[in-house]
Amino acid sequence: MPELVLSHVTRRFSGHTAVDDLSLTVRDGEFVCLLGPSGCGKTTTLRIIAGFEHADAGRLTLDGADITRLPPEKREIGVVFQSYALFPHKTVAENIGFGLKMRGRPKGEIAKAVEEALALVRLDGLGGRYPRALSGGQQQRVALARALAIRPRLLLMDEPLSNLDAQLREEMRVEIRRIQQSLGITAVLVTHDQSEALAMADRVAVMAKGRLQQMAAPAEIYEAPATAFVGGFIGQVNALEGRVESDGLLVLPNGTRLAGQGAGLLPGAAARAMVKQERLSLSRAEPAAMPNRFPCRVAERIYLGGSIAYRCEAAGLSLTALLPNHPLFEQFVPGDEGWIGWSAADCAFFPL
Amino acid sequence: MKMFGKLAGGLYLVLLYLFVAGPLLFVIATSFNPATSFPARFEGLTLSWYAAILQRPEFLSAAGTSALVAALASTVAVLVAFLAAYALSRRSGGAGGRGAMATLLASPLLVPQVVISLAILQLASAWGVGTGFWGLVAAHAVYVMPFALRLILTGLARFDFAVEEASRSLGGGWLATWREVTLPLLRPSLVAGFTFCFILSFVNLPLSLFLTGPDTATLPIVMFAYIESRIDPMIAAVASLIVLAAGTATILLDRFLHVRLVD
Repeated sequence: MPELVLSHVTRRFSGHTAVDDLSLTVRDGEFVCLLGPSGCGKTTTLRIIAGFEHADAGRLTLDGADITRLPPEKREIGVVFQSYALFPHKTVAENIGFGLKMRGRPKGEIAKAVEEALALVRLDGLGGRYPRALSGGQQQRVALARALAIRPRLLLMDEPLSNLDAQLREEMRVEIRRIQQSLGITAVLVTHDQSEALAMADRVAVMAKGRLQQMAAPAEIYEAPATAFVGGFIGQVNALEGRVESDGLLVLPNGTRLAGQGAGLLPGAAARAMVKQERLSLSRAEPAAMPNRFPCRVAERIYLGGSIAYRCEAAGLSLTALLPNHPLFEQFVPGDEGWIGWSAADCAFFPL
Repeated sequence: MKMFGKLAGGLYLVLLYLFVAGPLLFVIATSFNPATSFPARFEGLTLSWYAAILQRPEFLSAAGTSALVAALASTVAVLVAFLAAYALSRRSGGAGGRGAMATLLASPLLVPQVVISLAILQLASAWGVGTGFWGLVAAHAVYVMPFALRLILTGLARFDFAVEEASRSLGGGWLATWREVTLPLLRPSLVAGFTFCFILSFVNLPLSLFLTGPDTATLPIVMFAYIESRIDPMIAAVASLIVLAAGTATILLDRFLHVRLVD
């Protein structure tokens, strides 16, 4: 079964470590997104898996076989590039058939496979065109068809949607996921766009500074971040630093106490509390059920369409609450007084 | 006022073209003039000077020698220039200090041809070998290589190296990748580089003056020797043919490969 395992993979460039002791497993048929800010090592990781970069240390296995030293042309791994990297001097059909031609397959078989691949990406009848005669979205589909035509053991995609406009990007997310599911192919996609990763992946691997921070299902990444980095990177959060007073209690420098959750934090340790903006409630009445509640004054209102962000000042802190733009929710204007609050379950403590 | 500006601009262009092409036009016109010396008044139209070339076998064999030297020198130059430009342009794993490297490779441009010739003569004598035909080819290759390098570097600047990786991931080894992807995509600059080198080598006099022996007389050498003894329009006919060939090559390149030798 095509299962990809990276064990202790490290890659150093002059001066910095791009990938640092990375171990992760992509299960058979699984769709994994490597997510992280630029420079976190996600693209280098993808290039190591593809065989374009070598690992300075560590091992890669695919299907149980060691591929660490295998050149890219022997790996049977399909790659979709950020720039698409279509062959401009070859027709769409020649692009898609290229991998099979390299394998010396007969012409008839190649033609049939090209037809199938074109149908899969819904570009029937465009085989005779040259890439430059296609739109960006169509080129993207050709790149996908070309990578899939070799029936790869693994499909790699490097920021495949970053060159598309917003609407097409949403459409292709669904499309790529549909194709991946219908083929049951194991896939790794690199992206810096968290909504893309959360929407497409079975599991998301969050990376920072060359290290794996957390690898879990989208909901778990979002709801139960394992590190302060993941907590701050995924979603939009309010972060407050203080010291642990006792289990589940944090004291801020101004004396404010926050109730929250954090495993293994000893009293006296420096810690950061994080709470997602949409988990803050803003109301005129005091939210008596919430352990963390403070009278506040609305300082700023930012209209976002589907939601409204209120920056509030409470107990000397600046907190942002994101409220749905819905009649059931109260509306505020700058200068309004109210209460801001959140539950202990939504407030996670991380060691600093 | 606007009208005047346009007229002045137009006049400037005409003068510029005349300045560049005028001598060529004069030479071509002379080649059809029956007068036996030049410069001379125009006395009519004749093709006899072209026919006269056929009576001078040394011109034909010199043209053959020139073509052979140019072909060999350009092949070597394009090969060296391509490998150097490729290494300089690669994103990762490329040579360090690429600016310095590119300048070093282009340095024959800055050295007088006399110096290149002298250097090759000295080297040949130090090694105890004659210069001969291959010395001539070497000198020409050294001299024309930077021109090919420039053109190929420009071609590579527009080359997306990801297509090579795409080919590798699809099962193409590096040889197949070069054959199927890299070389076809760079063909325009390679052909342009070769053609440019060929022309430069074919018409080169200074290098050849130093390095030619009796058995390796190139066309410019024979022409030079011819005008030292006398001047008649036959030499203009030879020159016109060279201009015609170079011009045709340039136009063909522009037409079929969309490459501009002269920008």
